[in-house]
Amino acid sequence: MRSIRSRRRLLVAVGTVLALGAGASACGSSNDSGGSGSSGSAKGKKVRLITGVKSDPFYITMTCAAQEEAKAKGMDFTADGSAQWDVSVQRPLLDSVAASRPDGLLISPVDTSALTPSLKQIQSSGTKVALVDTTVTDTSIGITRISSDNEKGGRVAADALAKLMKEKGSVIVISVKPGVSTTDARIKGFTEEMGKYPGIKVLPTLYDNDLPATAASQIQSTLAAHPDLGGVFAGNTNTGQGIATGLKQAGRQGAVKVAAFDAEPDEVASLKSGTLQVLVAQDPAAIGRQAVDQLAGAFEGKSVTKSIGTDMVAITKDNMNDPSVSKYFYKSQC
Amino acid sequence: MTAQSEKAAAAVGGRAAVPDWVRRAATLNELWTFVILVALVLFFTIAAPGKFFTTYDITQIAVNAAIYLVLGVGMTFVIITAGIDLSIGSVLVLAAVAAGEYNIHHGGATSGWGTVAFCVVIALAVGTAWGALQGAVVATGKVPPLIVTLGGLGAALGIAELATGGQDPAGAASTHLQNSLGFGKVLGIPWMVILAAVVTAVFGAVLGGTRFGEHTLAIGSNPTAVRRAGIPVGRQLVKVYGLMGLLAGLGAVMWLASYGTTSIAGHSTDNLKVITAVVLGGTSLFGGRGSVLGTVIGVFIPAVLTTGLIVIGVQQYWQDVAVGVVLVVAVYIDQLRRKTRERA
Repeated sequence: MRSIRSRRRLLVAVGTVLALGAGASACGSSNDSGGSGSSGSAKGKKVRLITGVKSDPFYITMTCAAQEEAKAKGMDFTADGSAQWDVSVQRPLLDSVAASRPDGLLISPVDTSALTPSLKQIQSSGTKVALVDTTVTDTSIGITRISSDNEKGGRVAADALAKLMKEKGSVIVISVKPGVSTTDARIKGFTEEMGKYPGIKVLPTLYDNDLPATAASQIQSTLAAHPDLGGVFAGNTNTGQGIATGLKQAGRQGAVKVAAFDAEPDEVASLKSGTLQVLVAQDPAAIGRQAVDQLAGAFEGKSVTKSIGTDMVAITKDNMNDPSVSKYFYKSQC
Repeated sequence: MTAQSEKAAAAVGGRAAVPDWVRRAATLNELWTFVILVALVLFFTIAAPGKFFTTYDITQIAVNAAIYLVLGVGMTFVIITAGIDLSIGSVLVLAAVAAGEYNIHHGGATSGWGTVAFCVVIALAVGTAWGALQGAVVATGKVPPLIVTLGGLGAALGIAELATGGQDPAGAASTHLQNSLGFGKVLGIPWMVILAAVVTAVFGAVLGGTRFGEHTLAIGSNPTAVRRAGIPVGRQLVKVYGLMGLLAGLGAVMWLASYGTTSIAGHSTDNLKVITAVVLGGTSLFGGRGSVLGTVIGVFIPAVLTTGLIVIGVQQYWQDVAVGVVLVVAVYIDQLRRKTRERA
């Protein structure tokens, strides 16, 4: 019963979309006299977005902004994302989108090479692909690649942390694991920028394999060896949580400043409560918006920027209530 | 059994002019691993004077080992029955999620003591139920424990992810719980450490001095003989795996207290860590032999090693190498010693 009803509803929905699409594209072609085939107006073009993890506030924020921008441009836009950060979950999703032959695809590939064949195929069938946030190694894929400038993010974190540490003491990076391009770039930028402060000593990076318990023990051991520890740069949320617990066990919470990446709701709560002192927010909304703009440009036959790095901003307790800063907080729903 | 072999060893060793207490000590299962632990502590104390063997450092090592110690005590019982439990990390997460979800809907981070108490009961009940269920399947004898608990590992984690959508929910732990068990201290000793010590002492006594412990050891040595002696093997297995689940539930409470979140993705290697500790402590993977005291030493060897290597500033990759090497060497020495004794 239920499946029949839902299938009927699906059919109605598909029908509506088709009708809308047909109407919109008819409109588009009547407006645009010189357009030939796929190029012409962005209006009515079928654009799909596939994110890395559906429930991640970073991707939710990106999706919301892309949706708004696409709506303003009159595109037919829908978004979906993997349930987990896993190729075997994302590929079927990509294949089903490919089967619907969209005009444009925004995707955050969860692997740098495993999705290449699928993406090549969809690209050769005429879909314009934009890579958002993450990328693939094969440079022939995608008309544009938009992601945060992670090295710059590391620099932003270093400057904010150095200021809170009054430019002296030891500082350490605890990251998830070596060999991840985004976090490696953040650490590189962080370490280079910290080199500009003669009073600050950068200790060798530690990796916790995404285990908070390991991060907690690592930070406490580091405190034993370096009582002058003044700052920590945490690789991700799990690591940040472990560091916070470790510092609290050691009675050094607040004395040792902690910087973390992203501005997810629970991280913003930690900033408020004083567990974290610096958040380096990416700008997922800008990534989503610019990707839609670039695709629209491609549909209209304009030139497309091959690679765009979006900005990062440091959020501290002092500036978090400023609307020009708080707009960078990630959303858990549109 | 241990007393018997000690006596035998003492009788054999009678010809050499070695004091009796030395000979008796040398036959203790835990002695050699304890020597390795002392050697490591000495080494780091000398290598990093004033930094390693300090009140601060001893406390932090103990706090960070507390949860693994509680899990290790349960695992000792399981491995003594010639079983294994790979699911502990997932069961811990499931228990933490169950308790955390209740807490979220009854006040969140500011919930009162009544809610905290109920959350503790939920965590312990979920852990025990899951453990006992796995024990019941193991007891049928149709599926080996490795497979039962491998299935349990996936299923428990899956249910936890279904309940939360895969994201750690905010407000899973009350600040009351965090400030008491999580970060509270009595006479400078953290509650986490006291709780772990009590659990270790109680179940050490249970293994060494009760019928429950005796039956556990007997099942690991020879299940057929035990069955013919009229002891219900199946019921005992349900109890042992249930105990493991209970302690995983307790681990969940301790985790929520100190980390304040369920850390769904943060427990994938708990099982390997804990099994390593139990084996380091001299408990035989073939069952029938082992002690809680050995597990205590086995938990502290990797803990001391990783802390010590950070304190003396060794590059991290070496830490993993060192823990691996010590594991193999410790078990090798242990086996050599057993062989010598058996030959004697």
